[in-house]
Amino acid sequence: MSKDLQMRAAINQKLIEMGERERLKELLRAKLIECGWKDQLKAHCKDVIKEKGLEHVTVEDLVAEITPKGRALVPDSVKKELLQRIRAFLAQHSTL
Amino acid sequence: MKMEAMSLSGLDNTKLEALAHDIYSDLVEDACLGLCFEVHRAVKQGYFFLDETDQDSMKDFEIVDQPGVDIFGQVYNQWKNKECVCPNCSRSIAASRFAPHLEKCLGMGRNSSRIANRRIASSNNMSKSESDQEDNDDINDNDWSYGSEKKGEDNQTCPNPNSPRRSKSLKHKNGELNFCRLAYNYNSGISYETLGPEELRSLLTTQCGVISEHTKKMCTRSLRCPQHTDEQRRTVRVFLPGPSASTLPDVDAVVESDGYDVSDGQALMNRLQWDGSSDISPSDSASSKASTNNSDSKKPKKKKKPSLGLSSSGTGGTGGGTGGGPGTAGSGSSSQGVLSLPSRKKKPKLPAPPTPSIYDDMN
Repeated sequence: MSKDLQMRAAINQKLIEMGERERLKELLRAKLIECGWKDQLKAHCKDVIKEKGLEHVTVEDLVAEITPKGRALVPDSVKKELLQRIRAFLAQHSTL
Repeated sequence: MKMEAMSLSGLDNTKLEALAHDIYSDLVEDACLGLCFEVHRAVKQGYFFLDETDQDSMKDFEIVDQPGVDIFGQVYNQWKNKECVCPNCSRSIAASRFAPHLEKCLGMGRNSSRIANRRIASSNNMSKSESDQEDNDDINDNDWSYGSEKKGEDNQTCPNPNSPRRSKSLKHKNGELNFCRLAYNYNSGISYETLGPEELRSLLTTQCGVISEHTKKMCTRSLRCPQHTDEQRRTVRVFLPGPSASTLPDVDAVVESDGYDVSDGQALMNRLQWDGSSDISPSDSASSKASTNNSDSKKPKKKKKPSLGLSSSGTGGTGGGTGGGPGTAGSGSSSQGVLSLPSRKKKPKLPAPPTPSIYDDMN
């Protein structure tokens, strides 16, 4: 198990070191904006804020409300493409 | 050992997949967090709800999605069916055709003058014979005679009596009074008979003023209008009563041109004919030579008292002689003109004097 964890850590490290993580993050962000995910979620935020009251909104509140919804709202195409890229990276750098 | 630990090849696919999904989830969560922070900051800074106004305004500016209107709710070809009444011809014209119609109707567009001139050209060519043209040229050569010797021109009805062809060919002729071709007007001249002396004077200081043979109208182009020579302008200013009009400040003398004989002027002008040395050289040397030559010959012929202190030699090369001088205006100015004319007119004979120098007086 710890091998697993170790391996994961190593992979993550590699991801970061090679700048691939940044690239993936940017790619994801761009795709989400393009497909309207961000606007959808923002509208949801508005509801939450109106509900909770403008003055008393905290980050935790928002995170708790938004994250599950956000995860669910990601379109399939975006998910697939991202997974593909990750797998490609893993395949490429399976051995150190 | 480390190598082994790191190697993924030992992993089976499910684990790889799980790994990939984990990485993906992390990325998505990052994105969500980013959004939350952004929104939270906007809320706390107070600009989160800025793009929303009250409900009523929102309703007003909603996107319209009906057939026949654009998204603002405006009808597209609303003005196509409307009709306007033309103020000129009092016809009812479709709105989209109104502007071009006005152009033609008022005769002020680019095309309308072309069409009109072409029309006149064709009608002129049909009504006039070739010999007519020749005769006109001969008679008018270097002379301007108002109406007396010319055959009656019955072109009063035509707005532009001179066809474009005529005016073009005769552009550079001496003494020919051509109707100035104004690009944009039908009736493009002024009848001098209707003008009072003051108007006449002011007109002649600013405009060409050469009287067309055909319409008896004065050219309203600028003083340097290329259709007429300075000599023509001079003769006009000599002929028409009263004008001491010159633009230059040297004018003192009172002009009387009543007793001036046209033929006399012609004789004078003929005497002024230069043979070869008529090449216009704006240089002073040429001018002084010219002036002395002519002034001597002019003396006996002078009719009017030269009250102007302006002498042709004195003015030298400047275009300056303006004379208010009448009678000898022809001679004097032509001499002056030779001197100072920087014009590019290609006349073999007398070089035309610059327009302001029409009245210079000779001592």
